[in-house]
Amino acid sequence: MLQVFSVTLRGVFRDRVFQGILIIAVVFLLIPSISSLSMRQVTELSITLSLSLISFILLLLAVFLGGTSLWKDIERRYTFSVMGLPVTRASYVLGKFAGISCFVLLTSVVLGMAATAVIRYSSGIYPAMRPIVWSNIYLALLFDALKYILLVAFAFLFSTISTSFFLPVFGAISVFLVGSATQQVYDFIHTQAGQALPWYIKKIAPALYYVLPNFEAFDFKVNAIYGIALSVPGVFYTTGYFLIYLFLVLAFTSSIFSRRELQ
Amino acid sequence: MNAIEISRICKTFKGKRGARVEAVKDLSLVIKQGEIFGFLGPNGAGKSTTIKLLMGLVRPTGGSASIMGHDVGSHLSRKHVGYLPENPAFYDYLSAEEYLIFIGKTFGMKEPALKEKAEKVLRLLDLWEARKRRMREYSKGMVQRLGLAQVLIHDPDVYILDEPMSGLDPIGRALVKGIILDLKSQGKCVFFSTHITSDVETVCDRVGIVLKGVLQSVERVESIMTEGITGYHVRIKDKGADEDREEYAAKDEISEVVGRAQAAGSEITLIEPKRKNLEEFFLDIVKRKDAR
Repeated sequence: MLQVFSVTLRGVFRDRVFQGILIIAVVFLLIPSISSLSMRQVTELSITLSLSLISFILLLLAVFLGGTSLWKDIERRYTFSVMGLPVTRASYVLGKFAGISCFVLLTSVVLGMAATAVIRYSSGIYPAMRPIVWSNIYLALLFDALKYILLVAFAFLFSTISTSFFLPVFGAISVFLVGSATQQVYDFIHTQAGQALPWYIKKIAPALYYVLPNFEAFDFKVNAIYGIALSVPGVFYTTGYFLIYLFLVLAFTSSIFSRRELQ
Repeated sequence: MNAIEISRICKTFKGKRGARVEAVKDLSLVIKQGEIFGFLGPNGAGKSTTIKLLMGLVRPTGGSASIMGHDVGSHLSRKHVGYLPENPAFYDYLSAEEYLIFIGKTFGMKEPALKEKAEKVLRLLDLWEARKRRMREYSKGMVQRLGLAQVLIHDPDVYILDEPMSGLDPIGRALVKGIILDLKSQGKCVFFSTHITSDVETVCDRVGIVLKGVLQSVERVESIMTEGITGYHVRIKDKGADEDREEYAAKDEISEVVGRAQAAGSEITLIEPKRKNLEEFFLDIVKRKDAR
């Protein structure tokens, strides 16, 4: 598994997709200028823009690297040579997943450093009205990365059952959109307006809420932007949710890939 | 312990519109350690499917197989195997050297010995100069040679090679044949598929002929070559003649032809057997199968 992990990580660094996506990071240079347009909330806006830009880059990496990594191995028949080695299918999938996930984390760290420089510079232009809580910013960044690691797991799951890249890529995008909305839908169902919905929607929506991922649980951006104290139980709850959900998706992925015929 | 044991293995694929395609039917085979076995058949005969079954890439519909005593369903069966897929493809963002290090480490080889072995096989397969270049820049023949390098790197007991000579020039083919013969001298088992009879003739101990998913015949190559004598070309120098004449004698007529020549006081200068080669043997089986 370690060998598959290291070879995957090396592959990502040499991948043109990654190199293309990282070009988007030059937008960081524009953040101080854009933030200064807000006049009074320069720092807050620079934090918002930095975290949003990082989130967007991580989304692209998760969708395109996560969605094509395993598929490419199958499509280009690399799996024939790798599965001829004494590695189990599960360790191969987990090794590849670990390689992509590690890359997502590394990218978060590097972009986080860029964000730190941008936020510091912006706060120098116009002093922040509220103190900058760096731990909140880094924690928000970490949980954003964890969210996208979960999305990579979904992209892998779709890759194991698909013969084209459409399902892994568009499936991951769909999961991202749905996962970003599940909490809002769940909350709406429980409002007075939601009670007017047909009975079957009121039954199905909560069931889907528990099955589909809830990416809003990973969103600590407001705490980061306004320096609001984080709820410690909330952080632990999200961590536990991430670990359990990830375990289930990867177990399912490994199980399907172990049964897949490599023709 | 046998190197490879296949017992009544079957593989049926679901084709288009629900049609069933029987790629391998009830195939049984035992290959001993130290044996070079050629798996001969035309395109689409089921050779690659059989190899994929052995490598656990596809699961059998029925029957079982083992390599060095391990069921092919377990990854442990691949611990003693060097596998070259048909038209191999490797991580093309790696160089040959990086790929061999990856393979060696997967088999648990340690760094100093691994680097030494990598150099040895890269030199053997004439890839030393190109070792730092990424594989996406390699020609088809170079990728094929790297495929052979990656099966040799960890010195396995069993070599499973799917069309190992494919895409190679005559020099490359000769090199591969030499490597296979060298492996034989080291007591290794080589199981390779091909549709080229001369490849089998020159290196194999036994040959299995597969047609339409069915193993038709397993023979010793030596037996085919010796028992396949169909007649003789006899060169005779008659009394007083300046030049030799040549006469063809069927297998059961040779004594008569020789006796007649001796009775006439002629001198027999050469008797050359005319043998059926492996290609004819193979084509006979194909014809018989088609006639059925």
